[in-house]
Amino acid sequence: MAERADDYEEDEQRERLFEGAPMEVVARDVDEPVVWFGDVHLSFDRPILKGVSFTLRPGTTKIVLGGSGSGKTTILRLILGLLKPDVGTIIVDGTSVGPLSEEELRDVRLKIGMVFQEGALFDSLTVGQNVGYRLVEDGQASEEEIEQRVREMLGFVGLATHYDKMPSDLSGGQKRRVAFARALVARPQIMLYDEPTTGLDPITATTITDLICKVRDLDGVSSILVTHQLRDAYNVARRFMLKKDDEYVTSQVEDMSTLEGTEFMMLREGEVVFEGSPHDLQSSTDPYIKEFLS
Amino acid sequence: MIGESRTLAYLVSLVRRLRARFMELILSLQDYVLLSWRGLVAIATPPRYTREIVAQMDSLGVGSLSIVILTGMFTGMVLTLQSAASLDAFGARPYVGRLVCVSMVRELGPVLTALMVTGRVGSGMAAELGSMVVTQQIDALRVLGSDPVRKLVAPRLLAGIAMVPILTVISDTLGIFGGSLIGIFNLKLSWEFFWRSVGNALTINDLVMGLVKPIVFGFILSSVGCHMGLRTTGGTQGVGLSTTRSVVVASVLILSSDFFMTKVLLLLFPVT
Repeated sequence: MAERADDYEEDEQRERLFEGAPMEVVARDVDEPVVWFGDVHLSFDRPILKGVSFTLRPGTTKIVLGGSGSGKTTILRLILGLLKPDVGTIIVDGTSVGPLSEEELRDVRLKIGMVFQEGALFDSLTVGQNVGYRLVEDGQASEEEIEQRVREMLGFVGLATHYDKMPSDLSGGQKRRVAFARALVARPQIMLYDEPTTGLDPITATTITDLICKVRDLDGVSSILVTHQLRDAYNVARRFMLKKDDEYVTSQVEDMSTLEGTEFMMLREGEVVFEGSPHDLQSSTDPYIKEFLS
Repeated sequence: MIGESRTLAYLVSLVRRLRARFMELILSLQDYVLLSWRGLVAIATPPRYTREIVAQMDSLGVGSLSIVILTGMFTGMVLTLQSAASLDAFGARPYVGRLVCVSMVRELGPVLTALMVTGRVGSGMAAELGSMVVTQQIDALRVLGSDPVRKLVAPRLLAGIAMVPILTVISDTLGIFGGSLIGIFNLKLSWEFFWRSVGNALTINDLVMGLVKPIVFGFILSSVGCHMGLRTTGGTQGVGLSTTRSVVVASVLILSSDFFMTKVLLLLFPVT
């Protein structure tokens, strides 16, 4: 943890060196973490997170595993500023989110796309209005531009014909895909997925994990996937997507030791008990991890 | 000895529970005051969600029209019947129009309208916002850059403050009209006499009292509905609980604030 704190301070110092320099010189370090947790503690009636530290590097995916109540979703809520930590630092794209007010958090949240567990679509709005919500709120684009972008995003998730439908007319999987489109519509730098495949059948779950790979591989978006579905976690780690002749092609890596850019983190009762590559996870001798993976 | 220690343990646990309950109440009160203040600030400052405001005014105002008309009319009718029976004992039947009109405008119109709107709309606000909380739609709003207070609370507060007085005026009018029907067809009073006594009875002070109260009641029923809805926890069961609580709390607040407002308004605008 201390090492990571030093890492970040170094990055910060490097950036401070450029303060006052012309804008074009202040280039961001490509290795600067997009999300950084430093010794984060949070308690309500009981401790939820106990000294959680981790780093999410640009263009990588962190898959957070753990049982129910282990604090996985809380991590996402902290990144978004929906919760404040009791102790510790959370830095999102160079900004410490802990001390920010709701108004100040708006700029940070614009960089993040979030797919909620059940989709969290607005019941009273159509699919198109749900997807275009953020663009309408921003007030920067014209109605035509918003509609075009929304249709583009619905096409991306394979629901181009569902523009005028209400969320109540959609299946569980379709709702998650619309939530996906809504999260992606403003071209976020970071994507957060809160158990996006829970309660879905395996085929629909694969559609969702493929979408996660698509966003990661084609747009280079950094992401955190919270799940307790091991199969889907490995799918995201193994599978990758390419665009060939205007068609998306999915492939799969069989040798887990060759995987790059995907890291697993396991939580147990608010503590990080594992952080490493998919290969390290599989070869772990920790009894809890072995039991979880079995 | 064992019996004593059990009693002691029970007392300690009782005190702890009471303390927890008290703390919860204080926190809830703090949340309520903060939410109300932020809601009022959101009404007063841009940006405003005009479409939401119009939709809420339609839902609260136009949607409650039928129950307010029926409540007002029947209240005026029954009030006339009861008052006439009492006034007859003193040979004061001709004053029935005066009594009905003052009672409706100063007291029954505002209170009954507010209670009916609380049952219909206040509960709906708590249920709607509560459902949004448990399905994470409120979180989604915040993540997508909207302020839930501005987007959801302010339009409802404004609708309550603006529409309850209008509904009260309709209820008052229909109440007096219902009373006049009973006066003419049941008590054999003349139409002209009844309405002249109504006109003579009403003063500016009555109208002020009859319009200040519904503004406060409208604020109470909307703010309590929003507060209970946004504090919902525990899934669909929690939504039901918030709905019930919002009606109970808002009704009690309306009735108790009515007493204190009457005291203050009588001092400021005495009956002439």
